[in-house]
Amino acid sequence: MSGESTDRATGGLPSMFERYKIPLGLVVLVVALRPLITSEMVLGYNAIASKMLIMMLFVAGFNLLFGYTGLLSFGHAMFLGFGIYIPAILVLNGAWVLPAGGNITFLVGVILALAAVAVYGYLLGTLIVGMGEIYFALLTLAFSQAIYFIVLRNPGELTGGSNGLTQGTLPDFVEQTRGEIAIEAFGLSLDWYWAVAVVFLLGMLALWQIVRSPFGRSLVAVSENEQLARAMGVDTTSYKIWSVTFSGVFSALAGVLLMIQNSGAAIENLSVFTSGDTVLMAVLGGVNYFFGPVVGAFSWLFVEDFLTNFELWQFPLSEVTFVTVDLSDILVYWQFLLGALFVVVVLTAPEEGIWGYIRSVASWLRKRMQQVRA
Amino acid sequence: MSSTLDARTRMQRLLSERSPAALLGALAGVLLLGNAAVQKPGLFIDQAIGGLVYGMILVMISLGLALVLGLMGVVNFAHGALFMLGGYFTYATMASYGLPFWAALLIAPIGVGIVGIVIEVVVLRRLYGKEPIIGLLATFGLTLMIEEAARFVWGASAVQPAKPEFLTGGTDLIVTQVGTYRLFTVAVSTISVAGVYYLITKTDFGLSVRAGVQDGEMTEFVGVNLPLRFTAMFFLGSAIAGLGGALRVVEFGIDPGAAEEFVLLAFVVVVIGGVGSIFGSVLAGLLVGWAQFLVPVVLSALAIVTGVSAINVQGISDIIPFLVMIVVLLIRPRGLFGEEGLLE
Repeated sequence: MSGESTDRATGGLPSMFERYKIPLGLVVLVVALRPLITSEMVLGYNAIASKMLIMMLFVAGFNLLFGYTGLLSFGHAMFLGFGIYIPAILVLNGAWVLPAGGNITFLVGVILALAAVAVYGYLLGTLIVGMGEIYFALLTLAFSQAIYFIVLRNPGELTGGSNGLTQGTLPDFVEQTRGEIAIEAFGLSLDWYWAVAVVFLLGMLALWQIVRSPFGRSLVAVSENEQLARAMGVDTTSYKIWSVTFSGVFSALAGVLLMIQNSGAAIENLSVFTSGDTVLMAVLGGVNYFFGPVVGAFSWLFVEDFLTNFELWQFPLSEVTFVTVDLSDILVYWQFLLGALFVVVVLTAPEEGIWGYIRSVASWLRKRMQQVRA
Repeated sequence: MSSTLDARTRMQRLLSERSPAALLGALAGVLLLGNAAVQKPGLFIDQAIGGLVYGMILVMISLGLALVLGLMGVVNFAHGALFMLGGYFTYATMASYGLPFWAALLIAPIGVGIVGIVIEVVVLRRLYGKEPIIGLLATFGLTLMIEEAARFVWGASAVQPAKPEFLTGGTDLIVTQVGTYRLFTVAVSTISVAGVYYLITKTDFGLSVRAGVQDGEMTEFVGVNLPLRFTAMFFLGSAIAGLGGALRVVEFGIDPGAAEEFVLLAFVVVVIGGVGSIFGSVLAGLLVGWAQFLVPVVLSALAIVTGVSAINVQGISDIIPFLVMIVVLLIRPRGLFGEEGLLE
């Protein structure tokens, strides 16, 4: 970080870059992600890129609560579930006056889902933020499990129980041809990845604005030293409640995208495993940083897809092979290695993660370069 | 922990301090249970024993969790994985090595205890005195590893060893028949829970561990090898969870998902009972077990009496533990017998 002060002193382009590096990074990410990830060399199919963006948004929403406010939610899948199920149910059944399957029904569903999550998050926060962080983790888990079981029971034939909702949950403007999704609106056709990218960018920029606003700074103050913050007149309880609310809304937004991506609602997205994966992704990526969840979600999904498809380890190259090891039996169990990595990360630097590691290596390199130049 | 010592006085105080509303609620509960017992006596006894068996298994898991949480301040998410390993070790001893059930009942808890020691020495020792959240995260990672290892060795689907011959039959109680194995489970778990409870509250070993929790430096100063005691404590907690797994696998089988399912329930039990209170965990375990099995009976009996079939909610038993926990925490945030200020 030694270069920062000199950049700011010179003004102009470098300082602008310094100031807007997060939005710039997001745009670069969105533009570069799909060509890189979907090429034959790497994963080789399209849907993974949009799924990555969706999960990044979801985990970033989660991290507003964990990384910035210091509240660990072990039941974040419920917020995702609100975003998945409410629009799907509305589109499928139609509302009282709205036609089933209509675009307006879907938009109403989205607004309703976000509003419901906001109200639910606010009430939940009011009930449980005051009890300490372990209780917060366990209570979010309990609430999320309760919701999971309710959805599983299929009340009023609305949620589809363990089968989820698979038919007719998409609004009219979503076109599906052989597994590829496109958005048809105003006579234009937009590829699904770019539609996700737009929502992703808007969502992440809103998050970024929240994080760097006085509100976001107060959240950090609450998590760094709650007593000090309270002594200085910050109403910590109220900030925590609003953090739960915002975090829930962003997660529900990701849920809406996930519903279209999977063209339906699956009960697995509500389960405790989804909540657990969310925590894993955030911590692996590095909860201290805005880009931590992005890196975490990326590595998690990449490893999941790459390693489970990766069967032969050929050394040194596939053209000139000296050693071939069949890894397919072992790599199916990639979660074991990831679990081990996770434990190591938590024991050594729980808030840094992969992104923190990359940053420290980068800053070390920069320092070395300056020394060499001098 | 003083709470474990004067549990009886606490109980008395708890009763004398109750408000009329709470007493009315208790009366309503008794009436509902009585109604259910009159309407469906056979089913009621059946479910009561089912709840007792389930509750005792929950107590066995929660006990280890409560020990580690209350005494060492570490939220051990991996405790469910240890329970699961107990089931798998039993299966391995009986099905793969052909040893009798008794041998498995001895080998499985010891094996799980050894795994527990490894976990304690390698991971948990680094977590004492740190923020509880860090412990929760680290042991969550451990859970994933153990689950994945179990899936690697025993596969993803459930396994179940054959029930031993002499426990397969039923025992005739007047209104209904109960599997002998269930009664056996209750007996074994009661003995082991009572043993651990005695060890913690009444022996010098338990005393020195509790002293170490109060003031580690001073306890070591007077000559107690504290790390060794903590490891022994962890062995004990793991072994009893392993025994619970061994008892359950014979009747219901076990699969890798059991790790997270049961650690959740154990947390619910510990939180309801109150963090730091072993007595509270025992009581809450039974409470949750019974609530889960009896509420459906009570509701269906009530539906018969009132003629409103909507009362008989299907599948409510899965949500019951969480509902009980939410209600308890809202009314009494530190749990039934918890100490003030712990983990708050």
